[in-house]
Amino acid sequence: MTSRQFLLVVALVQGVLLAALVVLIILNRWFRLRRSAHLQPRRAAVDDAMRRWAAGAAPLAGVLIGLARLPVSLAIDALVGWSARVPGERWRELAAELEHQWWARVVRANGNSARWWKRLECARFLSVGAMPSDIARLTRLINDPHAAVHIAAVASLERMESTPLTLTALERLPSLAPTVQAYYAGMLRRSRPVVIQHLQKRLRRTDDPALPRLAEFAVRLAEPALRERMTALADHTNLEVRTQVARALGSFPHRESVAALTRLGADSTWEVRAQAVRSLGMIADATTLSLVRGLVRDPIWWVRLRAALALMRFGGAGRNALLEIEVGGNAEARDVAKMILGLPAQALAEFAA
Amino acid sequence: MSVFGGVIHGTDLAILIYFLGLNSFYALLLVLSIPEIWEQTRLAEDDDFQRLMQSDALPPITMLVPAYNESATIEASVTAMLTLEYRSYEVVVVNDGSKDDTIDRLRHAFDLYEVPRIYPETIPTKPLRAVYRSRTRSRLLVLDKENGGKADSLNAAINASRFPLVIAVDADTLIEPDALLRLTRPFLLGREIAAVGGTVRVANNCTVKDGRVTDARVPHSLLAGIQVVEYLRAFLFGRLGWNRLGGNLIISGAFGLFRKDYVSAIGGYRTTSIVEDLDLVIRLHQYLRRLKIRYEMPFIPDPVAWTEVPESAKVLSRQRERWHRGLIAATWQYKGMMFNPRYGRVGFLAMPFYAFGEMLAPLIELFGWIVTVGGLATGMVDTTFALLFVLVAWCYGMLLSIWAVVLEEVSFRRYRRFSDLLLLLLYASLENFGYRQRTVWWRLKAFVSVWKHQHVWGEMTRKGFATPPS
Repeated sequence: MTSRQFLLVVALVQGVLLAALVVLIILNRWFRLRRSAHLQPRRAAVDDAMRRWAAGAAPLAGVLIGLARLPVSLAIDALVGWSARVPGERWRELAAELEHQWWARVVRANGNSARWWKRLECARFLSVGAMPSDIARLTRLINDPHAAVHIAAVASLERMESTPLTLTALERLPSLAPTVQAYYAGMLRRSRPVVIQHLQKRLRRTDDPALPRLAEFAVRLAEPALRERMTALADHTNLEVRTQVARALGSFPHRESVAALTRLGADSTWEVRAQAVRSLGMIADATTLSLVRGLVRDPIWWVRLRAALALMRFGGAGRNALLEIEVGGNAEARDVAKMILGLPAQALAEFAA
Repeated sequence: MSVFGGVIHGTDLAILIYFLGLNSFYALLLVLSIPEIWEQTRLAEDDDFQRLMQSDALPPITMLVPAYNESATIEASVTAMLTLEYRSYEVVVVNDGSKDDTIDRLRHAFDLYEVPRIYPETIPTKPLRAVYRSRTRSRLLVLDKENGGKADSLNAAINASRFPLVIAVDADTLIEPDALLRLTRPFLLGREIAAVGGTVRVANNCTVKDGRVTDARVPHSLLAGIQVVEYLRAFLFGRLGWNRLGGNLIISGAFGLFRKDYVSAIGGYRTTSIVEDLDLVIRLHQYLRRLKIRYEMPFIPDPVAWTEVPESAKVLSRQRERWHRGLIAATWQYKGMMFNPRYGRVGFLAMPFYAFGEMLAPLIELFGWIVTVGGLATGMVDTTFALLFVLVAWCYGMLLSIWAVVLEEVSFRRYRRFSDLLLLLLYASLENFGYRQRTVWWRLKAFVSVWKHQHVWGEMTRKGFATPPS
C-alpha cells in the first residue's frame, strides 16, 4: 500500500466516523427526549401517590406500584427525596413492604457486586430503606473500599439504631480523611450512647495510634461524660492529642478542666497554647485571668490573637487588662490589644467562633 | 536526490512523525476521557446534596474575588456569590486600586464598615488601604488596596482568608448555585486533594437573571460559538483524560479550588507571571513532588462557572497571545522539571506534552506549511498526497471537536434545545476552516512578543450578559 492509499483509507475511515458520531449524537438526543417523556409522568405519579399516602389519604400499594414502574435509579432517587418528608413510623412501614418488592431484592443483591456503582446503588437504597435483616450487608458496605459506597452506607445510621453498625463505623472513622470523618461524626451522633461508651474505652488506650482522630471526634460531640477521659489526656506526648484536648476542655467548665488548661497554656507548642487560651476564654474563670493576660505577650501571633479575644470574654476585668496592655511596654501585645479593642461586637463574635 | 530534496523529504517525514505522535496522544486522551466522564457522571448523579448540605462535613471555603474596574457588575456578581448553596464559606473581594467607583458601589450595596486588619501578611502584597466588613452580609470581607494586578489581589485575599480551602473566582464569572458543593466532592470522597478544577463554560447568549444562568444557549456569533466547542474540548476531554494520566497542569484561574496551606507554602500567586493559574499549578506540582507529599489535582466536570468570551477577533487575539506567552514563559521557567524523574508523570508526560504538543505546535505547523508549499512549488511533494494529508489533519481536528460534543451530550446536556445541538455540531465542523489557522497566527505572535520581552496583559472588553425579557 502506498502512502497515498494509506491516507485515503484514513480519510475514509474518519469520514465514516464523523458521520457515525453525528448520527449518534442526534439519535442519543432523540432517545433521551422520548425516554424522559415516558418517565416524567411516572415519576410525577410516584410523587403524587407518595404525597397521598404520607397524608393517610391513599394505601401504600399505589406507591409500591409506582416505584416498580420506574427505573431502579429513579426509584431510589424518589425514595431518598421523600425519606426526609415522611414520618419515621410510616417510613418503616414502607421499608418493610419494599423488602418484598422484586426490584428492591435485586438492588439488595447488588450489595455483593464487583462493580462499585452497583454497590453504590445498593448503599443508597439501604441508607433509606434498610431493615434489621440488612445489618450484615450494611456492615460490608461500610467497610467498602470505594469511598462513595461507604459514605452512602453510613447514612443508614441516621435511620437505624444498631450497635454493630455503629461500632463498624466507629472502627473505620480514625482511618478516614478529615472531611469524611466529619461526615461520619454527623451520622454517628444519633447513636450517642453506644458511641460514648465506645469512646470512653478507646480513649483509655494512650498508645492507640488512632487517638488523635478519636480525640477530635470527641471534641465534636462535646459530651460531658467524656470530660474526665479528655482531661486525663492533657499530658499526652502527642501534640495533636494535646491540641484536641485543649480544644475540648473549653466546653466543660470544671476545676479539673481549668487546671489542665493552665498546664496546656504553658505548653511548648504554640498550637496547644492557642487552643488552651481560647478554651480558657470560654470558661472565663477569674483565677486564670493573669495567665491569659500573660499569653497576650506570647511570641506567636496566633496565640496573642486568641489570648486577646479570650480576655474580651472575661467581662470588665478582661477589658481593663486589654486597655492596660494597649498602653503597655510590649509593642506586639500593644498592637493586638489595639486591634481587638477596635473590633465591633459582630466581628468579635465571628472571630471568637 | 539533491540536498534540497533530501531536506524537504526529511522535514516532511519529521512533521509526519510529529503529527502522528501528537494525534496518537490526543487519541489516548480521548479514550481515557470515556471511563472518566462515565465515573464522574455517576458520582454526580448519585450525590445526595440535601444530606450533604445538612452535614457539617463540608470543608469551609474562602472565595477570592479580585476586582479591577468592575463597577458595572460587581454588586450583582457579589450578591450571586453570597447566595450559593454552601454551608460554610466567606467571600473576600479585593478592590485592586480600581480607577472607577467599584469600592463605593460595594460600600453602598453591602453597608460596609471599616475594621482593623487583624491577620498577618503571610504573602507580601501592595499596601492595603482599608479592610471592610458588611453590616448586612456577615460572609463578606472587602479589601481595598493599591493596584498590583490580579495575582497580587489574590495574594491579599489569601492573607485575609480564614478557611483552609480557597477558590479564585473572577468578579465577572457566574458560578452555579451548587458548584461549590460539587467541587468539594473529591474531598468528601477522602482523596488527598491539593487542588480541584471545575468546568468553565461560555455565557455569551445565555440568559442571566440575578447573576445566574437561567437558560443556556449557544451563541450565534461564529467566533463565540466556536469557543464553546473549544471550551468543551479543553474541559470535557482534555482535562478528563489528564485526570487518568495524573498530570493536570491547568486548573482554570476563573474557577479552581486550592488548599490554602499549600498555596501559602509556595508564596501564593507569582505577580510577575503572565498566566498566574498555570504558574501556580506547576509550582504546586513542583513543591509537592519535591516534598514527596501524596496529592491529586483532579478536574471534575459537573461544577460549572460561566464566563463571557471575546466576540471580536481583536480582543480574542490579545487573549490567546497572552495565554501562549504565559505557556512559553512557564515552559521555559520550569524546563528543569521536564524529563526529571523526581517529578514523575508531570515531568515525563505533562510538561513535555505542553512544551512540544502545545507550545511548539504553531511553530511546527508554520514550518510544515512553508516546507510543503516549497515542496509543491519545486515539484518535490506530490500534490495529491499534500491535499490528502491536509484533509486527514482537518478531519481529525473535527473528530476531536465532535467527540467533545458527544461527551457533553451523553453527560450533562446543558444545551437543551435541539437547535443549539445542531449549532454546536456546525461550529465543531467549521472550526478547522479559518478559526484554527487564526489561533495559530495569534500564538505565533506570542513568540515575537516573548522575543521582544513584552509583558502586557491586554485589555478584555466585555459585552455583558443577556437578561431575560421582562
